[in-house]
Amino acid sequence: MTADDDNFSRKLTGYLDQGTADLKAGTVYRLQNARAAAVARLADPVGVHASESRLAHAFAGTGAQGPSGGRNLLTSARLWLGIGIIVAAAFGYQQWQAYQQVNEIVELDAQILSSDLPIDAYLDQGFRNWLTRDEN
Amino acid sequence: MILKGMLSFDSIICDFCPSDRPKLASPQEISGFLAQVERRAFKQAMFAVRDEDAALDIVQDAMLKLTEKYAAKPAGELPMLFQRILQNTIHDHFRRQKVRNTWTTLLSAFGKGDEKDDDYDVLETLSAKSDSNATVDPAQQFEQGQIVGMIEQALMRLPPRQREAFLLRYWEELDVAEAAAAMGCSEGSVKTHCSRAVHALALMLNAKGLTL
Repeated sequence: MTADDDNFSRKLTGYLDQGTADLKAGTVYRLQNARAAAVARLADPVGVHASESRLAHAFAGTGAQGPSGGRNLLTSARLWLGIGIIVAAAFGYQQWQAYQQVNEIVELDAQILSSDLPIDAYLDQGFRNWLTRDEN
Repeated sequence: MILKGMLSFDSIICDFCPSDRPKLASPQEISGFLAQVERRAFKQAMFAVRDEDAALDIVQDAMLKLTEKYAAKPAGELPMLFQRILQNTIHDHFRRQKVRNTWTTLLSAFGKGDEKDDDYDVLETLSAKSDSNATVDPAQQFEQGQIVGMIEQALMRLPPRQREAFLLRYWEELDVAEAAAAMGCSEGSVKTHCSRAVHALALMLNAKGLTL
């Protein structure tokens, strides 16, 4: 970085400072409000905000961060709720399928034991082979 | 791991020698610091995201994070910490925007209305009173406004990392090590980005007939 570059940069930042002096009144007002909110958070570290912040920390990295800890917490809670519902649904479906399979086997066994074979059993080539082999 | 252990051991030792520890920032110092940097922080966010509401949200988030998590830091560390938080918040904004865009692309055709006009307030377009302009004649003020506009547009056209490095080094007046810490890169990268940024800005402004 030469002295000329340095000088050029200083002149540029001088103009940039002028740009900050000409901000719109509404923008300046909102910046002041934002600062006041941040300083208020500083003055009340053990209040509601602090507990919000701690909970938000617990969920850190799981959701989008909004302008307040409350919003962050809400987003995280929704995310976890969604994940919980998906996991519960997948587990329920798997359990239901296993139950159905067991039910089918039980029904088939009961019919065989009561010599009340379903027509499907006679149509099954494998079953017929098994019967003929048994007779021989 | 060993380095981390040494650092924590050092911090334990320092607990027993409070005279060596730097003075922590008082609430007044933090408030004063935020008042000092808020406008520049807003402009930095504007150069990056080019949306006033988003830029204001970013600055507010950065201020809240600083007071919530880093209030117990020495006053001398505040500029670097705040800049790091600000840059991270800007990056978070882009990440969120990318995710949001993937979901809203299909629905974007339905949302093309004049929604911004509903929030338009003529009072918000007026400039804040500034004592520095009190004695400047209107023609000069207009000319300076145009130069500022050209410089800001040139900054917006810079690659993000070059812009970050330039603003941190020259506008925020951080040294190379602090700028590197705020950007999360090496000192050599900061120097390279700065040098390229200065030359790119000079070229862009020269092309518009502006020589400083």
